[in-house]
Amino acid sequence: MRLLDWIVLLGTLGFIVIYGVWKTRGSKDIEGYLKGDNSMKWWTIGLSIMATQASAITFLSTPGQAYEDGMRFVQFYFGLPIAMVIISITVIPIFYRLKVYTAYEYLESRFDLKTRSLAALLFLIQRGLAAGITIYAPAIILSTILGWNLTLTNLFIGVLVIVYTVSGGTKAVSVTQKQQMAVMMGGMLVAGFMVVHYLPESVSFGDAVAVAGKMGKMNVVDFSFDWNDRYNFWSGMTGGLFLALSYFGTDQSQVARYLGGRSLTESRLGLLFNGLLKIPMQFIILFIGVMVFVFYQFNQPPLFFNEATKNKVYATDFAPEMEALEEQHTALFNQKQEAMHGLVAALRTDDEKAIAAAQAEVQGITDASKVVRDDVKALITKATPDAETKDTDYVFISFVMKYLPAGLVGLLLAVIFSAAMSSTASELNALASTTVIDIYKRSVKKDKDNFHYLRASKLFTAAWGALAIIFATYASLLDNLIQAVNIIGSIFYGTILGIFLVAFYVKYIKGNAVFIAALLAEAVVLYCHFYTDIAFLWFNVIGCVAVVVFGAIIQFFMGQKKGELVA
Amino acid sequence: MIRIETMKETDNKPTQELDKPPFFKSWKSMYWLVLGNLAFLITLFYIITRIYS
Repeated sequence: MRLLDWIVLLGTLGFIVIYGVWKTRGSKDIEGYLKGDNSMKWWTIGLSIMATQASAITFLSTPGQAYEDGMRFVQFYFGLPIAMVIISITVIPIFYRLKVYTAYEYLESRFDLKTRSLAALLFLIQRGLAAGITIYAPAIILSTILGWNLTLTNLFIGVLVIVYTVSGGTKAVSVTQKQQMAVMMGGMLVAGFMVVHYLPESVSFGDAVAVAGKMGKMNVVDFSFDWNDRYNFWSGMTGGLFLALSYFGTDQSQVARYLGGRSLTESRLGLLFNGLLKIPMQFIILFIGVMVFVFYQFNQPPLFFNEATKNKVYATDFAPEMEALEEQHTALFNQKQEAMHGLVAALRTDDEKAIAAAQAEVQGITDASKVVRDDVKALITKATPDAETKDTDYVFISFVMKYLPAGLVGLLLAVIFSAAMSSTASELNALASTTVIDIYKRSVKKDKDNFHYLRASKLFTAAWGALAIIFATYASLLDNLIQAVNIIGSIFYGTILGIFLVAFYVKYIKGNAVFIAALLAEAVVLYCHFYTDIAFLWFNVIGCVAVVVFGAIIQFFMGQKKGELVA
Repeated sequence: MIRIETMKETDNKPTQELDKPPFFKSWKSMYWLVLGNLAFLITLFYIITRIYS
C-alpha cells in the first residue's frame, strides 16, 4: 500500500463516519433513534436496502465466482423483484398500519407475546452470530493479502461502525449507506473500466466479450431443469423468491430500512427500487469478474491466488514439487498466449471452422491448466492440511493489488470496507432495536421513560458491536466457521419464515397453535441436523413448511376457540 | 407502544391507499413495471447467452 492509497482509504472512510455522526447528531427520543423519525425518502431507503444486502464478501467473492463459473450466478436473484412486489402489497401496509418498530412486534398483534418473543430470540441468535462473520470474513482475506494484523483489522471495521451506529441510530445507518453505495458502485465501475483498459491493444472490448463467451463465461441464463444445479432459471425463481421473501420480509436488518420511510409510498418505492436495480448491479459485478478472467487469458495469472497459502507450502519440504508445478503453469500459459490470439483472429473472420479449431486448441490448454491447478490444491492439502484450497475469494483483490495504480487500490479497499461497514451497521441497529423493543421494553423494564429506552438502545448497539468484534476475533480458532454460521442461520430462518407466513396468509391458525408448531418445527430441524444427511439449505424449507403444517393440524385439534388470539 | 389488536384490525385486507405512486396512476402499474423489467432483463440475458455461446 502506497501513501496515496492510505490517504484515499482513510479519507473516504473517515468522511463517511464523520458525516454520519454529524448529520444525525442529537437523536432525542427512541422513535428518532430506531425509526429515523420516519423521515427517509425512497432513494435513501432503496440504497440502504441494497447496501445492507451487499456485504464485503459480495465484492470479494462475486467477481471470483464469475472468474470460475461465469455469469450464471445472477439467476439466483431472479426471484427478488417478485418478492419486492409481494412484500410491497402485503407486508408493508400491515407494518405501517400497526406502526411497529420491529417485524416481531407485529406477531404479538397477530398471535401473542410468547410467539413474538420466540421469533425475536431466534433472530437475535442467528443475526448476532452473523454480525461477527460480516466483520471477520473480509478481515481474514484483507489481512492475508495485505499482511495486516487480523485482530486490528476486525477492530478497525467494528469500532468505525459502532461510532456512528451508536451515535445516530437508524438514520445514521441509512445516511451513511448512501455514501457507501456511491463508493461501492463508483469503485467497482472504475475497476471494470481499468480491467478492460489493461487488455492487450489488439483485443477490443467486443473481442473480450466474444472470447468470454467462447470460454463458457457468458452463460447468463439456463432454462434447463436440474435438481443438482444450484444456479438456473428455475432455482432462481423458486429458491431465490423464497429466500428474498424471508430476508426482506422477516429479517429486522432489512425491515428496519423500510420502516424508517416517510410514508407507505416512500417505503414501497424504496423496495421496488431494489427490485429494479439489484439484478443489474449483480450483473455488473459478475461481468467485471468475467473481464478479469479474460484479462488473465492474456496476462499470466498466479498459480494459486492466495499467495500466503502458496508461500506456506514453499516453506515446507514440498517446495520442489510446487516449483515444478509453477514451471508447468508458466509453460502452459506461454502456449495459451498464441492460442488466444489465434482465437481472437478467428472470431474476427466469422469463419465457423476456424473458430471451432481455435476454440478447441484453447480448451485443450485450459483443461491442462486445470489439471495443474488441481495438483496444486492437492499439494497444498498434503503440505498444509488445515489450509483452504478454494482461492476464488482472492481473485479480484489480488488483481486490484497487483495491477491497479496508486489511489485506486485505496479506493477499491474503501469499497470492501464500506460494504463490510454498511452490512454490519444494519445488523447492529436491528439487533439493538429487537433487543430493546421486543425483549427489554416488553418483558424486562416496561414502564420507563423515553430517555431510558433511548439510552438502552445505544448501550445495546454498543454491546452487540463489542460482541461482534469479540466473535470475529476468535472466529479463526474455529474450523470452518462460516459454514457453521450458515448452518445455524438455516436452522432458525425456516421457522421464523414459517411463523410470518402463517401470520400473513393463514388466518385460520392462531397464537397457541403457531407457537407449539414453531417449537415442533425447530425440533424437526434439529433432528434433521443431528441425525440425517440432509443438506443444510433445505432446513429453511423444512422449518417453514413444518410450522405451517403442524400449525394447521394443531389448530384443527384445538378448535377455533382455544386457539383464539390472546388479547 | 405495544399494541394488542383484534384480528379484524390486523386482517390481511388490502390497505386503503392514501398515497399515490409517482409517474403512475396506481400501484398496480408500478408493480407491473418491476415485473416487466424482470422479464426484459431475463430476455436480454437469454439473448446474450445465445449470441455468445
